[in-house]
Amino acid sequence: MQLNANQHIKSGGRKQNNNEKYRHAFPLVFTARPWPSRLIGVVGLGTGSLDNPECLGIFDPHTKSVWIQTSRDSNILWTRGFFGKGNLSRSEPSWHDRQKSSVLTSEEITAQRREARKKFKQERAQALLEAAAQAEAAFAVGQEAPAPVLPSRPAEHLIIPKRPTKDDVLEEDLPKEPTEDLEHLQLTLPEAFFLVWGLGCLTIVDPNTHMPMSLGAVWGSFQNAYSPSPSPSPGLISRLDNPFLINYLVYHHYRSLGWIVKSGTKFCVDILLYKRGPVFSHAEFAILVIPVYENAEDQKSSPFDLPNAGPISWTWLGTINRVNSQVQKTVILTYVVIPSSTSVSSDDRRTPACLSRFSLREVPLKRFIPARMRD
Amino acid sequence: MEGHVSYPILAPVIKKYPATAGPLFQTYNDLSLAQRWESLEVIDLSNALRGGFRGRRPGTTESSVVVPCFLTESLSMSWISSVFQDLPDVKDFYLAICTEDSSVVYYRMSKGIVKPPM
Repeated sequence: MQLNANQHIKSGGRKQNNNEKYRHAFPLVFTARPWPSRLIGVVGLGTGSLDNPECLGIFDPHTKSVWIQTSRDSNILWTRGFFGKGNLSRSEPSWHDRQKSSVLTSEEITAQRREARKKFKQERAQALLEAAAQAEAAFAVGQEAPAPVLPSRPAEHLIIPKRPTKDDVLEEDLPKEPTEDLEHLQLTLPEAFFLVWGLGCLTIVDPNTHMPMSLGAVWGSFQNAYSPSPSPSPGLISRLDNPFLINYLVYHHYRSLGWIVKSGTKFCVDILLYKRGPVFSHAEFAILVIPVYENAEDQKSSPFDLPNAGPISWTWLGTINRVNSQVQKTVILTYVVIPSSTSVSSDDRRTPACLSRFSLREVPLKRFIPARMRD
Repeated sequence: MEGHVSYPILAPVIKKYPATAGPLFQTYNDLSLAQRWESLEVIDLSNALRGGFRGRRPGTTESSVVVPCFLTESLSMSWISSVFQDLPDVKDFYLAICTEDSSVVYYRMSKGIVKPPM
C-alpha cells in the first residue's frame, strides 16, 4: 500500500523507511510515559498505557481462515508483526494498488526483474553460441579465436523504476480506478488464534450469525473446521491429534521465541521462520512438522490423515533438503509428540490447557560434503 | 464467502460439492482478479467430485483447464486419471493447490510422458 514511496529512495533510506514502518513487533503498543511518571514506574507503580487496536475478522470455515476486511485492520496486522497475507497478492495486500497503473508494487518489480534476467540469459546463450562458432571457424583456418564478449549482468541494465510525476501522465490517460477493493487480508487459524488468545487484539465474528465469537466458540470452531463430518457442534471434546492443535502448537512455540512464522508451501516445507520479517531478510529456517503419537492406538483410530505422520523416506527428505539448500535455508525437523488420549482429561481438552501436555523436539538437518567441508 | 462478489458464479457447483468450496473460491479469485484470466467459466468434474475452471491465460489463444484442491488432500494416480476422463479432449490441466494462508501453487499435469521445453 505504501510501497511506492520507497522506489525512488536510495537503499539506506529504504532501510530506514522500513525500520520506521515496521517498528512495532506486535499489534499491541505500549505508549511511553512522560518522565515524571517514569520515576513512579521505577518503584513499581505507574500508568503506562496499552494501545489495543481491537481488530475485527470473520471466520470462513471453507478456506479454514479468518478474513480481515478493512484496510485499517489489514494495515495494522501486517505492519505490526507481519500477520496474514493478502489473498490476491504475494504478501502485503497490494491488489488495489496494482489496479491503479500509476503505482508500482513489489509484484511488478519482481516481474520486471524476471524479464531482465530472462533477457540476459537469452543474450548470454546467443553470445556463447556465436563465440563457439567463431572458435570453430578460427580453428579450421588455424588461427586463434577472438575472446568472447559476454553481455553484462542484468543488474547493470536494471533501471530503478521512478514514480511517474504529474508531467509524465495526462489525466485522461489514467484508467478509471476501481471503486471496490476486492482483496482481504487472510489469517491462518493459528495466526488468528494467537491474536485472539495470546494477544487479545482480535475479535472474530461468526459467518452465519455475524456475532462476535467467544474464546470457547473460537477454540471449538477452529478444530471443527478440520472435522471430516460436516458441522458438528462447538464445545466438542477435542481429539488431541486435530491438525489445528498441532499447527497452533508449533506456531505459538516459534512466535513466543520471537520468530516471524509464515507458510512454507513454496519451499515444500510447512513453515518458514524469519528473524525480523519478510521485508528485511530471507527466511533462515524451513520447518517440517512431524507428528509422533505417544500411543499407537490413537494413530490407528485417527480420523485425520496427518501429513508426515508415517515413516519418512530418504528420497523425500533429500529432495526437500536439496530445494532448501539451493535457497540457503536450513531445514529443521520439528517433532511434535502427541500425548496419549488416556493421559489428558476431557476438561483439559476443552481448553488450550491441553497444549502444555505436548512436547516438541527440533532436529536441524545439514548436508555434509566431505570433500568441501574440511574445517 | 457468501457475500463476496464471486460467490453467485460459483454457487451451483459449491452446492453440489461443498467439501471443496474453499479451493474453488480461492482459485477463482486468483485466476480472475490476480492472474487476469479471460473467458473464465466453471465446469463440473463429476469423477473428481469437484468443480473446475476453463479459461485463457492472458496473452494466449488456447483455453486451459484448472482443477483446484487442498494442500492437505491425498491425491492418487487414479484420481488424476479420473480428471482426464472428465475431460476427454484435454491433454494437460493445471492443478491449483490451495493453502490456508491463501497462496495458490499451480502444477501442470499432463497425460503421459511429456518432454520438458528447452
